[in-house]
Amino acid sequence: MANPDTILKVQDLNVRFPVFGGVIPRKTAEVRAVDGLSLTLHRGETIGLVGESGCGKTTVGRAIVNILRPMNYRVEITGHVLYYRENEVVDLASLGRAKMRSYRSDLQMVFQDPYSSLNPRMTIGAIIEEPLTIHTTQSKVERRERVRWLLDKVGLSPKHANRFPHEFSGGQRQRAGIARALATNPKIVIADEPVSALDVSVQAQVINLMQDIQQEFGLSYIFISHDLSVVRHISDRIFVMYLGNIVEAGLADDIYSRPKHPYSQMLLAAVPRPDPDTRRSRRVRIPEDLESTTPSRGAVDLPSALNKPSGCAFRTRCPIATQACADSVPPLEEHNGRQVACPYAM
Amino acid sequence: MTSPLLQIRGLRTHFFTESGVAKAVDNVDLDVRQGEVLGLVGESGSGKSVTALSVLRLIPDPPGRIVTGDIRFQGRDLLSVDWHNIRQVRGKEISMIFQEPLTSLNPVFTIGRQVMEVILAHEPKTSREQARTQSIDILTEVGIPDPATRMNQYPHELSGGMRQRVMIAIALVLNPSLLIADEPTTALDVTIQAQILDLMLELKARRVGNAILLITHNLAVVAETCDRVAVMYGGKIQEVAPVRDLFHNPLHPYTRGLLTSLPRVDGHRATRLTTIPGAVPDIHNLPTGCKFSTRCTDRFEPCDNIEPQLIEAAPDHWVRCHLHE
Repeated sequence: MANPDTILKVQDLNVRFPVFGGVIPRKTAEVRAVDGLSLTLHRGETIGLVGESGCGKTTVGRAIVNILRPMNYRVEITGHVLYYRENEVVDLASLGRAKMRSYRSDLQMVFQDPYSSLNPRMTIGAIIEEPLTIHTTQSKVERRERVRWLLDKVGLSPKHANRFPHEFSGGQRQRAGIARALATNPKIVIADEPVSALDVSVQAQVINLMQDIQQEFGLSYIFISHDLSVVRHISDRIFVMYLGNIVEAGLADDIYSRPKHPYSQMLLAAVPRPDPDTRRSRRVRIPEDLESTTPSRGAVDLPSALNKPSGCAFRTRCPIATQACADSVPPLEEHNGRQVACPYAM
Repeated sequence: MTSPLLQIRGLRTHFFTESGVAKAVDNVDLDVRQGEVLGLVGESGSGKSVTALSVLRLIPDPPGRIVTGDIRFQGRDLLSVDWHNIRQVRGKEISMIFQEPLTSLNPVFTIGRQVMEVILAHEPKTSREQARTQSIDILTEVGIPDPATRMNQYPHELSGGMRQRVMIAIALVLNPSLLIADEPTTALDVTIQAQILDLMLELKARRVGNAILLITHNLAVVAETCDRVAVMYGGKIQEVAPVRDLFHNPLHPYTRGLLTSLPRVDGHRATRLTTIPGAVPDIHNLPTGCKFSTRCTDRFEPCDNIEPQLIEAAPDHWVRCHLHE
């Protein structure tokens, strides 16, 4: 059943963070950060994971690389993260820390904030070299050579190896972060808001760099971002998330030109366009439709993963919600290559 | 033409630090006209926030100081008024909202107390009862559901969008003539951003003659909200124009670079983004000539050594570039 192009398959992933309270602490609630999510990633493609803050997109990325348990040992994870390596299939979600280690070099992350994700006491060279020390048996000379090569690949100069992160600009730091991710020859790179902290003029440089590197090394990207314009530019396929679930998935061009789920429509309508002539024509739809369901002028408090609405989680903000939406979670159904979790969206 | 609401001339705000003098704002001329929304765009370190803080005299001294310049608000010289009087201006005549509403609101006081504080501080004759009614009214106006209950809540009990609505309420409760909004929606999700921008424009429309100075790095936000735009780079205004002129006919190579490097959410999808080469220069070590000369693809002889002047290249369209002199 496995498509030879598939490199990663997430099946029915659930991530729950228990909340403890009371004098004698016991579990009083749980945050359902990821709630039965499935997605696939093909070799050499980029999928974009979009949604508002708190929708669980970062947690999905962390669950895939299996770093949630070390971060919070009480986390409850179920489901499968199938990784298709050359001749084997492994469920990364089932691996403990030691076993995970041999797969870690294949899956690397690039983080949002290049200021806090690089150790300020280490030189850039040492930061890029560290994964090589851990994951390879290369000699010191080989590692140094590889660091120089990597610096060159990401557009830094080999002389930068002896400098510390604070001596670099935001864009240069993010280049160093990318070099570190590339050090172990990964197959999959999970980039969590990699350009959100960068200035506009530098953002385009880093996006182009990521695309060049993907071409050269045949990488598969999971690109997580709230910036819908950036995601559209870099992604082949898009997954729109709302409160722990995928509500719509499909080819990037399809979704951006004809979003079907009411949430995707609302999200895309809200993105400002850099064109002063279109500003009045589009805004109107969403706030006015919402007026009927909200107390005053569309100002509605977002539900959180802690108090998720029953049935379709989006129904409290949805302009076309009916009574039936509260009863059951609409399944993600496929029509013409597009998956939509809304019975009224077709 | 009537005189501008706010007129900035030759403003220089420098920071005197151990590593040298940082000319964060260097000879800025800028007008905010009656009733307009003026966008001030630029990347980090371009001097846009320092310009705004200079207007309200909120520059931390030391290390910062307004070295020279003239700032007139409704004809009044803001740089010569004393500390007591500038406090009367802040919040009452010119108010400001910031990027991160959670750090701008005091976590240990209720929303109600923080809104009422502005009224009571500026209008001591108001009774607490009146101030309370006035606060509930403004919270209603900014679209906060159930404002009477919200008055008794603390900032952490509100969502990011709601907090920014509270900040707007605090800023507008005394009906100031000028609202300075410094990256008001940068920390918010796009859906909330659209609501907050709509709200700001709607409130402005109801207060005829009032103006907004919107500071942002996001050109799309500018396109959607502003009447005129000023582009800053390296502590200087590089281009000022009505919003349509700036987006359809950008004159400065920096403005052009910014506009072409934006990924689009609609229309044609480029396979590759156009970039501006290099990085924003260090503020302690800016080029002597044109501040953008180190990254400019149209650079020619005079750019390295001679700073171009801000000239009116087309009606109401000003640019600082040797190409247009």
